Amino acid sequence: MESLLQHLERFSELLAVSRTTHVSTWDPATVRRALQWARYLRHVHSRFGRHVRIRTALERRLQKRGRQDGAPGSAPVPGLTNFQALGRCDRLLSLRLLENRALGDAAYHYLLQQLFPGPGVPDADEETLQGSLVRLARRGSAVHMLRFIGYGENSVLEDAVLKTQAELLLERLREVPKAEAEGPSRFLSTLWDRLPQNNFLKVIAVALLLPPSSPRPQGEELELGTPKTPGEGGQELVRWLLAKSDVMAALCHNLPVGLLTSVAGRHPELSRAYLGLLTDWGRHLRYDLEKGTWVGAESQHVSWEELYGRFQSLCQAPPPLKDEVLTALESCKAQDGDFQVPGLSIWTDLLLALGSGS
Amino acid sequence: MAQDSVGFSSDYQFWLQKLSVWDQASTLETQQDTCLHLPRFQEFLRQMYEVLKEMDSNTIIERFPTIGQLLARTCWNPFILAFDESQKILIWCLCCLINKEPQNSEESKLNSWTRGLLSHILSAFRFDTKEVGLFTQGLGYAPADYCPGLLKNMVLSLVSELRENHLNGFNTQRRMVPEKIRFLSRVCIPLVTLPDIEPLVEALLTYHGHEPQEVLWPEFFDAVNEAFLLKKISLPTSAVVCLWLRHLPSLEKATLHLFDKLISSERNFLRRIECFLKDSLLPEAACHPAIFRIVDEMFRCALLETDGAPEVLAAIQVFTRCFMEALEKKNKQLKFTFKTYFPYASPSLIMVLLQHPKEIPQELWHQPLKHISEMLREIVEDQTHGSYGGPFECWFLFIHFGGWADIVAEQLVMSEAEPPEALLWLLAFSYSPRDGSLQRTQTMVEVKAVLGHLKKLFRSPTLSAKDLQAAAAESQDRDPRPPLCQQLIRRLVLNFLLWAPGGHVIAREVITLMAPTDELTHEMTGLLDQTLYRWDHLCMEAPRSRKLARELLSELRSAGTAR
Repeated sequence: MESLLQHLERFSELLAVSRTTHVSTWDPATVRRALQWARYLRHVHSRFGRHVRIRTALERRLQKRGRQDGAPGSAPVPGLTNFQALGRCDRLLSLRLLENRALGDAAYHYLLQQLFPGPGVPDADEETLQGSLVRLARRGSAVHMLRFIGYGENSVLEDAVLKTQAELLLERLREVPKAEAEGPSRFLSTLWDRLPQNNFLKVIAVALLLPPSSPRPQGEELELGTPKTPGEGGQELVRWLLAKSDVMAALCHNLPVGLLTSVAGRHPELSRAYLGLLTDWGRHLRYDLEKGTWVGAESQHVSWEELYGRFQSLCQAPPPLKDEVLTALESCKAQDGDFQVPGLSIWTDLLLALGSGS
Repeated sequence: MAQDSVGFSSDYQFWLQKLSVWDQASTLETQQDTCLHLPRFQEFLRQMYEVLKEMDSNTIIERFPTIGQLLARTCWNPFILAFDESQKILIWCLCCLINKEPQNSEESKLNSWTRGLLSHILSAFRFDTKEVGLFTQGLGYAPADYCPGLLKNMVLSLVSELRENHLNGFNTQRRMVPEKIRFLSRVCIPLVTLPDIEPLVEALLTYHGHEPQEVLWPEFFDAVNEAFLLKKISLPTSAVVCLWLRHLPSLEKATLHLFDKLISSERNFLRRIECFLKDSLLPEAACHPAIFRIVDEMFRCALLETDGAPEVLAAIQVFTRCFMEALEKKNKQLKFTFKTYFPYASPSLIMVLLQHPKEIPQELWHQPLKHISEMLREIVEDQTHGSYGGPFECWFLFIHFGGWADIVAEQLVMSEAEPPEALLWLLAFSYSPRDGSLQRTQTMVEVKAVLGHLKKLFRSPTLSAKDLQAAAAESQDRDPRPPLCQQLIRRLVLNFLLWAPGGHVIAREVITLMAPTDELTHEMTGLLDQTLYRWDHLCMEAPRSRKLARELLSELRSAGTAR
C-alpha cells in the first residue's frame, strides 16, 4: 500500500513537471518510463475500482496533494484530483507532453511512435490510448462544428456551455474535503475573487437549477458508487450565498428575472433572502407627486418598473413561492399602515398593480 | 508499382486542387462539395499514409514538396477533421513528417510546424470566450477534461430544441428556424458515425416541422443510410423508417444492399436469409404501405430480370413471412387494410392467401388450396378481369405466400386419392404462369400420369431406384417435356422420397441419378432447405422424413463445397 502511495506521489510530480520546460532534458527513455508509470496507475484504477479502502486512501492522498501549495480552500492544482482521474492519467500525461514545445525532438518522436502506432494495432479495443486520443480529437471537432449553429446571446448552445461549467463547479465542490467545515466556502470565495464575476453568477444560477440526481458527467465511465451524495454541491452553494450578502446582491441585480424566479422556486432559503433584498430595495423608493410614480432617492436605487417586473415574475411562479411572495407583500403593507389608496405605501401600489394583472 | 504511383500522383494533384478550393469550408457550396467527397478523400489519405510510412522525413519533402500545403489545408477543414477516421489517418501522416534528429534549421522548422498541426488536431476544443476559458482554468480543468461533457450537453440542448421542449425553465421561448435546422443537418454529415451524435441524428430524422418541403439536406440522409447499412450507427427502427419515408434513394439503396447479401453466398440457407431480412429492418419498415410497395416493386423487377430465379422467389417468400409477422405485432397501431399493400389484387384472393396453414388442420388443407386454385384460374382465364392484372400479376401475388405452392406438391404426392384437377392446375400454374391453356393442360396430364405411377410405388416393399426412374420418365410418344415441367417432376420425386416408407433406402441413389450436374444439385439443395424451413414454421411432426431431409441436405451441401 505504501509503495502504491509513493508511486502516486511520484507520478503526480511527474505530471506537474510535464507542463514545464524541464522536459527539455527528457530523452526517449524518460518518456518510456513516464508512460509505463501512467499505464501502471491506470491498471490500478481498473483493478481497485471496487476496493473501497484502497480507493479512499488514494483519493485522500490526491486531495491532500492538491491543496499542498496553498491554504485549504485555495484553487485546485490541475492534475490528478480524484480517483477517477487515474483512469485517464495516461491520456492526461500524453496530452501535456504533446503540447509541450520544450520537449526535445527525439523524445517527441518516440512519444508519437508510442501513442500512434498506426493501423496494425486493432482499434476494436477502444481502451487503447490511440483510440482514446483520436476519439477526443473527433469530439473536439464535433463541438467546433456544432458551434457553427449558434453564436451570441441566447443561442441554443450557450445553455450547454453554462450547464457544462455548472457541472464542473459542482464536481470541484464535491471534491473539497469534508474534514474542513469551511473548505467549500473558502473555495467559493477564492473563485469569486479571481474569476470574471458576471459569468460566475450565471454559472451559479445554472448549477442551482441542475436536477439533484445529476451523475458525474465528466468521466466517461460512471463512478462505481459515488462516495458523496450528489446535490450536496448545491447545498454548499446555497450556504455560501446566504453568508455572502454582496454576492447575493450581485446575483439578484445582474441575472435575468426569470432565471432568478426559477432559482428561488427551487431553493426556499434563497427565496427568503431574495425577498428580503427586494423589500429592502422597495423601502428606498419615494413617491414623486409630480410624476405620479415611485422613484429612487439616488441613481443606484432600483426603479419601480424593475421592482414590479421582479414581483410579477415571482407571482407567476407555481404555488409555494407565489403564496410566500404575496404573504410577504401583505405583511409589508400591513406594517406600513395597511393603506388601500395608491401613492402612500409602495406595497399597496405593488399589490394593486399585481392584482390587476392576475 | 509504377502504374500505382502514376495514379497516385494524379490523385494527389486532384486533391490538392480540391482542398485549395474548399479552403476552410465556410460557404454552402464548399461545404456541400466537401461532404460529397469525404469517403473518397479518406481513402486517399489512407493510400498516402501507406506511401509516406516507407519514407523518412527528408525523402517525403523531396518527393512531395507540396505536402505541407496538402496536410495543412486538410487540418483546417473542419468537415474533414470531423469525418469518420480521417483525423486518425491524418495524425499518422503527420507523424511521418517528424524528424527525430533534425540536422539543420530547415528540418527543425518543419518539426515545429508539424507539431503545431498535431496540436491543432489533438487540442480538442478551446472556449474562445475569455470568461469561460478563465473559468475552466480557474477550476483546474483542461479542455480534454470537459470536452466530452460539453458535447453531451450541446447534443442534449439541440435535441431538446428540436423536440420543442424547454429545459429547466431557464430557456426563453425559442425555436430553431428551418435554415438553422438545415444547416445543422449539413454539419452532422461528417459526424454521423460518432456515437455521441446519435441522439441528434435521431432527433433530426424524426423532426416534423411545419414547412411543406423537406428541410433536411439530402446528403444527410445519404450519410445516415450509408452508416446504417455498414452498421456504423445504431438507430431505433422508428428513426430508420422516418429516414426511408423521407428519402426514397436511401430506401432503394437499402433494398439493393439487402439483395446483394441475399443473392450471394448465402443461397439456399433460408434461415440465414431470414436473419438478414430481420436485421435490415425492411420487413418491419414495410408495415408502412409506401415502403412495402417500393420494396415489393424492386422484388418484382429482380424477379423479372433473373427470369424467376429460385433464390429471388425464396427471398420474396421469406420477406413476406417476416413482414406478416411484423404486421401482426404492430396491429394495434397501424390500421391499413390489405388493399393498401396489394392494390392491384382481388381482395377475396388475398384473404384466402393470408390464411396461415398452421391454423388449419392438415387433413383439410386441400380446401383452401382448391379455393385458391379456383380463384386464380378465374382471374387468369377470364380476360375481362383486367383490373386484377394478367397471369404474371396473379402469380406474383401468389408466390408471396409461397408456402401454399410447396404444400400442393406435397399433398399431391402424399394423398392416396385421385389428384383433384384444381390442385394439378395450381401446381402447373405455380411453376409456369405464362403457359397457354393448351400447354398447361398437357403439363397437368403429364403430372397426373407420373403421380399415378408414384402412387403405385408408394407402399411397395421392394422399391428400387430404377422403378422410380421409370415412373418419372418421359413417355416416348409425347413431345419432350419443357424444362419447367421437368423441374416440377423432380420436385414430386423428391417429395416422394421424403414421404414414402421405403424412400430413405433409395434416396441417395435416386438423387445421384436425378441430379448429376451442379445446377441440379443446387436445385435439390434449395428444395430440401425450403422444405425443412417450411416444416419448422408449421411445426410439422414428421421425424423420419425430417431426419432424411436433414441428412440429404447436409450431404448435398458438403458435396457442393467439395467440388
